Amino acid sequence: MDMEFIRNLQGWGYVAMIFGLTIGFYAYIYHLYKSQKDGVKDYEKYSRMALNDDIDDSLVESLHPQNNKKINRSVKDELAE
Amino acid sequence: MQSSSAINYDYTVAKYFTVATIVLGIVGMTVGVIIAFQLAFPELNNLFGEYGTFGRLRPIHTDGVAFGFTVSGVMATWYYVGQRVLKVSMAESKFLMFIGKLQFWLYVVLVASVVVSLLLGITTSKEYAEFEWPIDILVVIVWVLWGVSIFGLIGIRREKVLYISVWYYIATFLGVAMLYVFNNMEVPTYFVSGMGDWYHSVSMYAGSNDAMVQWWYGHNAVAFVFTVPIIAMIYYFLPKESGQPIFSYKLSLLSFWGLMFVYLWAGGHHLLYSTVPDWVQTMGSIFSIILILPSWGSAINMLLTMKGEWGQLRENPLIKFYVLASTFYMLSTLEGPIQAIKSVNALAHFTDWIPGHVHDGTLGWVGFMIIGAIFHMAPRMFKREIFSKKLIETQFWLQTTGIVMYFTSMWIAGITQGMMWRATDQYGNLSYSFIDTVEVLHPYWTLRAVGGLFYLIGVFMWAYNMYKTATSSKAIEKEPQYASPMA
Amino acid sequence: MFHWLEKNPFFFAVGVFLVIAYAGIVTIVPDFMESARPLKGTKPYTALQIAGRQIYIANGCNTCHSQLIRPFKSETDRYGKYSLSGEYAYDRPFLWGSRRIGPDLHRVGNYRTTDWNENHMLDPEAVVPGSVMPKYGFMFKKSIDFKTAYAEAYTVKKVFNVPYDKPGMPKLGSYEQAKKAAFTQAGKIVADMRNQGVKDAYKKGDIKEIVAIIAYLNSLK
Repeated sequence: MDMEFIRNLQGWGYVAMIFGLTIGFYAYIYHLYKSQKDGVKDYEKYSRMALNDDIDDSLVESLHPQNNKKINRSVKDELAE
Repeated sequence: MQSSSAINYDYTVAKYFTVATIVLGIVGMTVGVIIAFQLAFPELNNLFGEYGTFGRLRPIHTDGVAFGFTVSGVMATWYYVGQRVLKVSMAESKFLMFIGKLQFWLYVVLVASVVVSLLLGITTSKEYAEFEWPIDILVVIVWVLWGVSIFGLIGIRREKVLYISVWYYIATFLGVAMLYVFNNMEVPTYFVSGMGDWYHSVSMYAGSNDAMVQWWYGHNAVAFVFTVPIIAMIYYFLPKESGQPIFSYKLSLLSFWGLMFVYLWAGGHHLLYSTVPDWVQTMGSIFSIILILPSWGSAINMLLTMKGEWGQLRENPLIKFYVLASTFYMLSTLEGPIQAIKSVNALAHFTDWIPGHVHDGTLGWVGFMIIGAIFHMAPRMFKREIFSKKLIETQFWLQTTGIVMYFTSMWIAGITQGMMWRATDQYGNLSYSFIDTVEVLHPYWTLRAVGGLFYLIGVFMWAYNMYKTATSSKAIEKEPQYASPMA
Repeated sequence: MFHWLEKNPFFFAVGVFLVIAYAGIVTIVPDFMESARPLKGTKPYTALQIAGRQIYIANGCNTCHSQLIRPFKSETDRYGKYSLSGEYAYDRPFLWGSRRIGPDLHRVGNYRTTDWNENHMLDPEAVVPGSVMPKYGFMFKKSIDFKTAYAEAYTVKKVFNVPYDKPGMPKLGSYEQAKKAAFTQAGKIVADMRNQGVKDAYKKGDIKEIVAIIAYLNSLK
């Protein structure tokens, strides 16, 4: 491989990275706000993880899905207060 | 249901690292103040023979505060925050408890060997990577143990989604691991030649390549030690201490990725590609700018979290620390790109403006955040009130004054010296000899050293306050939910 | 896809890593092959100069002195010709430095003599009034560690093919040969020095640190 070829590869690789990252990044932003708006997922509830962090506090989202419904309700109640 | 009330968070390892943070903060910053005074009063270099010169002590200062004070602070907060946001106790896993303690004690060995070897002049000379190969191996072991601890705790968590701070801790772990390993590739000379010092090594890279790898490391290591884990802290401690949820959790998620992209992008902006079409290069630059915009989100997010709650800034000294820290974060992330502009860099490079910039970030942002975080942890870890609110207030104002003295004097010193180096008379000859440009700095160097001393005194106040909190302050029955109780 | 990443720490970590690593590879690796080539006329250091360089590193000279002359008139007027990438081909590690508390040293061998260096290292303030440099009197008493210096030269020759013992390049040879050559080289420097202790030690076959570091400084051209 000669230097010219490597330089080219580097240039295109770099540009491709910036393009890819920007597109992926803005797609992510769109995804975040869209899912929040459509009610698919409430991201803001996750900020409760820092505030309700006693070991006995209710979970925001349990690893065990059967618990989730009840817990979510309790967090919402708290938010409503 | 998920947990019995018999389980409590176990802060043993967090306490260990808290002690390390305070001790290494004192050591690293005391050395910093000494070398600052050495510049102003060079006789101080000769107090301890070869072991007391600026050249020997400076790496002890930089490594002491970066890998001593800061990294211990990161560990202390991880072993505290990690359990809480994942809602799982260290006490639930004997294995993780063992790993945590092992990590701590190996870390102590590591720190001791670093201090001794640097004093003896055993160094590779690469900044923030001065350690010779046996110590590098120890660094890797300690780091891997931390990784085991992070992913182990995540593995047994109850909370399904990882809180934003945990993202930042993971990024710190991965980023530093990769950077450190690549920059410290070296060949031990003893094993090739069979003679000489067994710990000596030569770098795998030569000349400009070595420089390139070193500053790829230098720039990004600063990012991953002084920025990423500190953001992890502020995303937990500011909301928790103030009782306010993060202004926008979505903004925190996207600024995480924004930041990840920016830091690695920053290394590439000087590259020119001869054969890549111009319009593609232009598009590349435009996209880069679009990409960096959201990375400022973190600081704004923090300030907006306090919206409508600014009264707390007056009443709660810990909130003061956090808010001033995010202000300094914005200041130094603004200053960095300015210094990267080609014409500014031509003036600023090799001058005091660079250490000045580093210290805005480290004293203001890193130092204040760690001090504030550990104050918040204290009543929970020791089940006692913080010993003295007055002392925290005094410490805050003393240290803030110290920082302001530090960076203003260094800005002036840096720009003055940069201008004098390039000044020419009417015939185009250089106006000043090198020593002229050194002598003129004396008052600024003195001012800087005094500013540093103020900050150091503040650190001693913090240590005293913490000691009293842990041993003789009023006990509290129930863990406080938000604001930390203080007398 | 995004939902899935948020809940899978492992793949999340892989994602972060790939993003960081890709940038590193793209920005660093290609430049490697280009800048590794030595400039014509650049020679590796002799074993004695390496010993001096090790002393330079051990005492953190690079914390205050740069070795990189930038292509500005103000710098070339002050320090000489600006530095070229190929001149550093044998520098392991590089010693560009990051802060000029003292002047640049990349071409110090062009304008400072053994005599000047000797006096200056002993008491910088006496030679340059106002200097903030520490005194390095201990270098007149400590002996060099020639074994480690030779080990380094031997290692770079074996592992990185540094052209020792090639035509027109410095000789290295066996340890004994290298030691003899270093002794001869040191003798020329000691002859230009005035310190009696260093001269006496040399007569007994002992080379002091100051001799090696001057050999290194003189080689910076």
